[in-house]
Amino acid sequence: MIKVAPLAVLALGLLSAPALAQTPITIGYLGLAEDPRYDPLVAYTRIEIAPGGNPIDGAEMGVEDLAFVSDAVEQAVSIDHQEAADAAGLIAKVGEMAGAGEGFIMLDLPAPLVDQVAAATQDLPVTLVNTTAPADYLRNRCYPNLLHTAASDRQTSDAMVQWLRLRDWTRILMLVGPLDRDKELAAAFRASAERQRLEIVDEREFTLATDPANREANNNQLITGGADYDLIYVADTDGEFARYLPYDTQLPRPVIGTTGLTASEWQWAWDRDGSTQVTIRFEEKTGGRRMTGQDWATWIAAKSIVTAYAKTRSTDHQEVDEYLRSSRLRMDGSKGVQLNFRPWDGQMRMPIVLATHNAVIAEAPFEGFLHQTNVLDTLGTDEPEHQCL
Amino acid sequence: MKQFLLPLAVALATAFAALPASAAGTGMIFVSNEKSHEVVVLDPSHQIVKRIETSRRPRDMHFNAEKTLLYVACGDDDVIDIIDVASLEVVDSIPTGPSPEVFAFSPDEKTMFVSNEEDSRLEAIDMESRLSVQDVPTGAEPEGVLITPDGKTAYVTSEVADMVHVVDVATGAVTKNILVGTRPRRFILTPDGSELWVSCELSSEIYVIDTATNEIKGDSLIFVPPGFREEDVTPVGMAITKDGSKVLVSLGRANHVAVVDTANKEVIQYVLVGKRPWSVDLSSDETMAYVANGLSDDITIIDMNTLAATESIPVGRVPHSVVIDD
Repeated sequence: MIKVAPLAVLALGLLSAPALAQTPITIGYLGLAEDPRYDPLVAYTRIEIAPGGNPIDGAEMGVEDLAFVSDAVEQAVSIDHQEAADAAGLIAKVGEMAGAGEGFIMLDLPAPLVDQVAAATQDLPVTLVNTTAPADYLRNRCYPNLLHTAASDRQTSDAMVQWLRLRDWTRILMLVGPLDRDKELAAAFRASAERQRLEIVDEREFTLATDPANREANNNQLITGGADYDLIYVADTDGEFARYLPYDTQLPRPVIGTTGLTASEWQWAWDRDGSTQVTIRFEEKTGGRRMTGQDWATWIAAKSIVTAYAKTRSTDHQEVDEYLRSSRLRMDGSKGVQLNFRPWDGQMRMPIVLATHNAVIAEAPFEGFLHQTNVLDTLGTDEPEHQCL
Repeated sequence: MKQFLLPLAVALATAFAALPASAAGTGMIFVSNEKSHEVVVLDPSHQIVKRIETSRRPRDMHFNAEKTLLYVACGDDDVIDIIDVASLEVVDSIPTGPSPEVFAFSPDEKTMFVSNEEDSRLEAIDMESRLSVQDVPTGAEPEGVLITPDGKTAYVTSEVADMVHVVDVATGAVTKNILVGTRPRRFILTPDGSELWVSCELSSEIYVIDTATNEIKGDSLIFVPPGFREEDVTPVGMAITKDGSKVLVSLGRANHVAVVDTANKEVIQYVLVGKRPWSVDLSSDETMAYVANGLSDDITIIDMNTLAATESIPVGRVPHSVVIDD
């Protein structure tokens, strides 16, 4: 059919014409130069089938998605994307960005760098939003200037454990890799398993070498043998061990963790709550890249900041920050429920998707897991157990 | 106001010689099933009499004024299918922009306004030529569409931008953006035209807009059905009685329909229905309400005298909308 749209320009003109009164707002985005997490070679072995890509795309889409809102309140929002190669450089960047009047900076950094940057910039009038570092210890640092839209390790492990409790798969064999991140993931899983009274039948550390003298740790049948269990949990952030594990186990048992069924903020196959439109917009924007959990976290961070500016109609950092942290913030993350930040650790409350490589199997929290104030707080460290360390 | 769209009727009559003069008042209930790509037809005794295969992902549905034709927006094939109510067959389809979700007719039925959620546009289609005559950019994921009875104004929600766009139909210009709650979905207009109600799915509230000023009027309405918290409520579909005294609101994840007293905005009754009710429609004698339950694959019938659910009927995968030919 021939499409004619003679009047479209009129409407567009009205909305995009730069009004004289528009207030410019710049939101910071600070990444690590040549971040190995988004290296396509690393991505090849990652748990998500989607190839790597820099989640700045998600943040940009968040600002674009809300352009009409910003426009309606006469704010012109832009992103200042900066990078540095190390902690000193990143801290200096935050100083410069705050000096230029940026009140909110999204951090797209590995956890140790988030830790150092947040510690060093506490006295600046700037709120940092951790978008891609899931490590639980960042939530226990209690930096007053730090919020998190990346799901914490505890949120994702609680989601998995709720599912296992629901399926009544309660006897777990844990396989853990040698990396610090592997051990962090395993610690979160152990804490979650304890919360739901799952039984850890055994915990074994794997290695990648094929040294026969060490075969108990590197042979799939041997490392999964000699015990009875319902399910294998594997913590392998590198991914090279985990991806060869399913279907090569001693007992016919499913695998969960960093391969098999994985837990994340987002998966491209999620098809409810308007998520398809989000995924399609993202793919159109990025030339076909599939949206990952990290992209979702930068997207929702940008949307939350823009929303707080728009709803307060203010540029006063304190006022906008107060709104961002308050229960008045009711964000739509296309996961069917309203989202906001926990006051005790600055973590965004959110449902977690449990997905295989091509389907979302379930979305936590699940029916029957109750909470005295908000069922989303059944995922992650809850207020009574939260400690500042 | 009930002007039948003649050119289309002529075209149809030519193509389908058996088109009856009128099929109004059969009492048939039509349910669109998003995931099984069909419109299910139930007779007045609630027996399924036909499953009409449609284009993919059928969602919003509207009759023409005479109720001889039923239009069905089919999101995954970018068309609006037309079902002949007498023969219960898809007889034609109208191409639209990408992913049509919700639509409304101008009062003279000469123009159809469609929200295309994937390219963020409100598209006006001339029913005679089938051409897109107006294409109004909206915030991302436009959904609810309502045309005022004078045909001069279109209201459309943007689910992502959390706003209602007010569109001057004559020029296609957005004349105002009204910021409402999170993820605004659908509209109803009170019979006197004074109040426009907007359901905001993710902030769990209904906003009332004063149509004289296009400003938000009073506090938003919130809902606390038995056994649920305020934030569990995700309101979407609404229906209003002809006298304007009562509004039915589907509460989504809270699995209830709220019956609201329009005058004082108080909830009269919460009715437990199926899982994630969205669309709700009233029979024309207003003795029954019909609710599509998206996640339990059924519809629930509510007796409007007792305000209690009387029956739930399995219909197919992910029922989206219900309309009644009576």
